[in-house]
Amino acid sequence: MFRFVAFAGKGGVGKTTLSAAYALERSRRGDKVLVVSLDPAHNLGDVFERKLSEEPTPIETNLYAIEVDYDAMLRRSLKKLSEKIKDMYGYLRVFNLDKYIDVLQHSPGIEEHAVLETMLDVIRRNEAEWGFNIVVFDTPPTGLTLRIMALPSLSLLWVEKLMELRLAILARRRAVERVLGTKPRVSLGGREVSLATEPRGDPVYAELLKIREEYSFVDRLLKDPQRFSVVMVVNPEALPVLEASRAAGFLSKLGIRIGAVIVNKVLKLPQEDASRRLYEQKRALELLHKFFDRYPIVEVPYLDEEPRGLDRLVKLSRFLEEITEGCTLWSS
Amino acid sequence: MLNRLWDVARRFTGSLLGMLKMRSVEYLEAELRELENVFALLVLGSFIGLPSPPLPISLRLLPHLGRELLVATRISERLDDMLGEMAGLFEIS
Repeated sequence: MFRFVAFAGKGGVGKTTLSAAYALERSRRGDKVLVVSLDPAHNLGDVFERKLSEEPTPIETNLYAIEVDYDAMLRRSLKKLSEKIKDMYGYLRVFNLDKYIDVLQHSPGIEEHAVLETMLDVIRRNEAEWGFNIVVFDTPPTGLTLRIMALPSLSLLWVEKLMELRLAILARRRAVERVLGTKPRVSLGGREVSLATEPRGDPVYAELLKIREEYSFVDRLLKDPQRFSVVMVVNPEALPVLEASRAAGFLSKLGIRIGAVIVNKVLKLPQEDASRRLYEQKRALELLHKFFDRYPIVEVPYLDEEPRGLDRLVKLSRFLEEITEGCTLWSS
Repeated sequence: MLNRLWDVARRFTGSLLGMLKMRSVEYLEAELRELENVFALLVLGSFIGLPSPPLPISLRLLPHLGRELLVATRISERLDDMLGEMAGLFEIS
């Protein structure tokens, strides 16, 4: 059974670097690890100093990486949706579909759907072909990541209500059929069509069942503390800490496990160089410990070199020992 | 004579039952149309600014909602006189 972890946080806090360092350390401890960058502003290839693609690229033994092409991901997701509509195009003729599909990629909700689909695609391909035992997701900035995580629960709420309403519609159609002795019919696109009266024969109900099954699978996966957790990454400043605490509260309400919190770029200066900056950092760290006292907290100092390339990533990963040992991020 | 009376009574009862059947179906069909209208508005309401499910759910259901779209369009055409619509249904004059 493989496990996966998502590194989440504000833009620029160091999610990519830390997810790369964590993945590198786990791979050197014997796990077969895949890092997947879902951030539209990719840096994973820069951190590993390799050109990455949408297929697993070897970084070293047991460590591979993927950078998802964001535009291609959105187009693929829309193509899948539009293919179903196009099958019925001659029947409905409601929209000018080609132009409409182009506009859809800018619609609210499409981006989080596309990213969630990509995560699922990686999970399925890992189970079917690749066989990594840890998959690390470097996620987009917090706002989008929270919407992605909430999408399965929200979709299931809607689907349940729509199924209730659909069953009420089918019950009324059955009542009409019992009185009249024939199924209700309607003229659509010049053809007489018999309307379904039972859930079994209703394409709308069948589609709702399929949607419910798909989102239930994802929902169970994200809420399984033995398989999935989120690592919150913050900087030692009040605003990122406050945002992270709200994000953690939101994820906990959804039932998603927070595996750890990493405070990145902690200034370590001698006391005599104490400055206003250090004072504010100290306050931010106190706030952090107050909000996140239930979770393992890892402090990573501000390094004197930019952590790019494998050698420097190894130095960074030494600060992550608390979470790279064993399976502390997930529940046992 | 009795046979004729029985025949008339049978035909009268048949017509009465037929009329009651049609009346009950009218109410059922009106209720059905309203439920289908609500379903269409819930699923596709984002296209007219109503809160709606995540877009992928709406798009996946769209190909199967021909009937519901027709109902919603017809009802929206008559929205300026819903009172007249209801009066017609319940035969209030």
